[in-house]
Amino acid sequence: MTAVKTTEAAAPAGDLPPALPPAVTGGAPGRRRAGAFDRALPYLLLAPALIAILWLIGWPVVSVFVTSFRQLNLGELVRGEIVWTGLDNYVTVLRDERFWTVSLRTVVFTVAVVGASVGMGLLIALLMRVLTPWVRIALQIAMLCAWAMPILASTTVYQWMFDQNYGILNKTLVQLGFDSFAGYSWFSSGTSTLSVVGLLIVWQAIPFLAFSLYAGLVGIPRDLYEAAGIDGATGWQTFRAVTWPEIRSLLMMVTFLSTLWDFKVFAQIWVFREGGPSGESTTLPVLQYLEGIAKSHFGVAAAISVLMMVILGLITFQYLRKLLQTEEGKI
Amino acid sequence: MLKKSAANLAGLGLALFFLFPTYWMITSALKPKGTTITSDYDLVPFSVTFSNFVTAWTKPGFLSALGNSLLVTLTAVVAAIIIGITAAVAMSRFAFRGRKSFVLLMLVAQMAPFEALLIPMFLMMRDLQLYEHLSSLILVYFAVTLPFCAWTLRGFVNGIPVELEEAAMVDGCGRWGAFQKVTLPLLGPGLVATSVFAFITAWNEFLFAKVLIRSQDRETLPVWLSGFQTAFGTDWGGAMAASVLFTVPALVFFLIVQRKMVAGVTAGAVKG
Repeated sequence: MTAVKTTEAAAPAGDLPPALPPAVTGGAPGRRRAGAFDRALPYLLLAPALIAILWLIGWPVVSVFVTSFRQLNLGELVRGEIVWTGLDNYVTVLRDERFWTVSLRTVVFTVAVVGASVGMGLLIALLMRVLTPWVRIALQIAMLCAWAMPILASTTVYQWMFDQNYGILNKTLVQLGFDSFAGYSWFSSGTSTLSVVGLLIVWQAIPFLAFSLYAGLVGIPRDLYEAAGIDGATGWQTFRAVTWPEIRSLLMMVTFLSTLWDFKVFAQIWVFREGGPSGESTTLPVLQYLEGIAKSHFGVAAAISVLMMVILGLITFQYLRKLLQTEEGKI
Repeated sequence: MLKKSAANLAGLGLALFFLFPTYWMITSALKPKGTTITSDYDLVPFSVTFSNFVTAWTKPGFLSALGNSLLVTLTAVVAAIIIGITAAVAMSRFAFRGRKSFVLLMLVAQMAPFEALLIPMFLMMRDLQLYEHLSSLILVYFAVTLPFCAWTLRGFVNGIPVELEEAAMVDGCGRWGAFQKVTLPLLGPGLVATSVFAFITAWNEFLFAKVLIRSQDRETLPVWLSGFQTAFGTDWGGAMAASVLFTVPALVFFLIVQRKMVAGVTAGAVKG
């Protein structure tokens, strides 16, 4: 950041002399001489990033597939043994009923959280357009506070708010006359635990979605709405005919991003109940952690990782293909 | 008119919904010890103290975790930004063979589900003898943020007309001079926005920080805070004060760049 500052200060100084003829003549042959260097330059500039990506992303991707075909528990790891087991790890995982339950739970959880946050994000973006400026600013500041809170901080705050005995939520519900909530535990079942986690994720995801979609809505030309108004369109018709086509692509983009982000949530679920009670709030990332790190079954965990990527790929395949095609056209 | 006030009312309700956890975090942190855990209905604090902050600050592990978090996050982000800029400039300013595949590689790498690479990363860091070292986290966070930085910065560089650089080169600047004096200053806001987003990503990261670091004096803040019950017991006031201290750096960065961040992340939306 300091580098940016100094060049900013240096830029006007560099602009002061309007023309420097000697430098122009000096620059041209310099460029010709450097022909070979110039041709190599883009590759030199790319090299660090390329090496880093191949080493730190490319290799792990290869390695997760390779590992998934090995028997690799703590013993093999310590002895440095390489034991190939073919598809055994996959058979183990796919035969385990728990894997199917957890996968289904993860998909349902992801769809619910993405649906709720994108839907609410869109509604709030639409609402922001009609708000009185000071109300809109208040809402934006409030959303910014939610967005900026580090995940572990917000998770800790939610734990406190949903605390069984002294949490403000239960106390409020009792004040409102729902006496059965005195000492009510929100974490006694998997569904209830995941609902609280889901609420936390949605609460923190909405600001980004609402801000993005609002930016998209503000960019729609006003005369389109005026034309719709002259034609006597109702609010819903205007939304269908004017707003929707204009923000559809943005909406798909943020839905895709949200799916990528919400599918792999680990921190919030783990910190609340470590996937409990009795494994009922375990999702795929938690299962991978439990098998791989807690039990040191690295081969089995790698198979779970691969299956995780397959499921995520299946969910996002359609959009991903389209995204890559469009980007390829643009480059 | 009625419709407008209904909308405003909804807007204010939502503002409360989003603000409440922050409010509750701060007020709980400010309540004197012994008044936090109470069955009384205490939505508004009646007396205020800063002793919880002192407690959190002086808890064993807090300061070292804060230092570790700052060290790991800042190092990774600075490296990702520097290498990201060079890659971004190459991708957007040069024509060369293989450019297209490289740009697509960046896009795909950016979407790589890192959590699914936990096992190979763990094995790799162990092989490299980096397990239990903060440098393993720096490498992971650098890898997580690099494709995003390169991709986003490429968008920002694309937005700066190449004619400006050419004009500077006609006026006698070398390629480096033109970049340094023309492009880099114009890139400033984009650079700040990108680095803040990368900072937040690394600042928040929990899974790798938990898996790659076991010893307490090398913990980062998220991991330290996740085990707050060992440090605080049921001292929610202290836990809330620690959460506030954890939030402040992120919030400050957020306020600086809020506007630009949205544009950066969704710059690649598919049209049509």
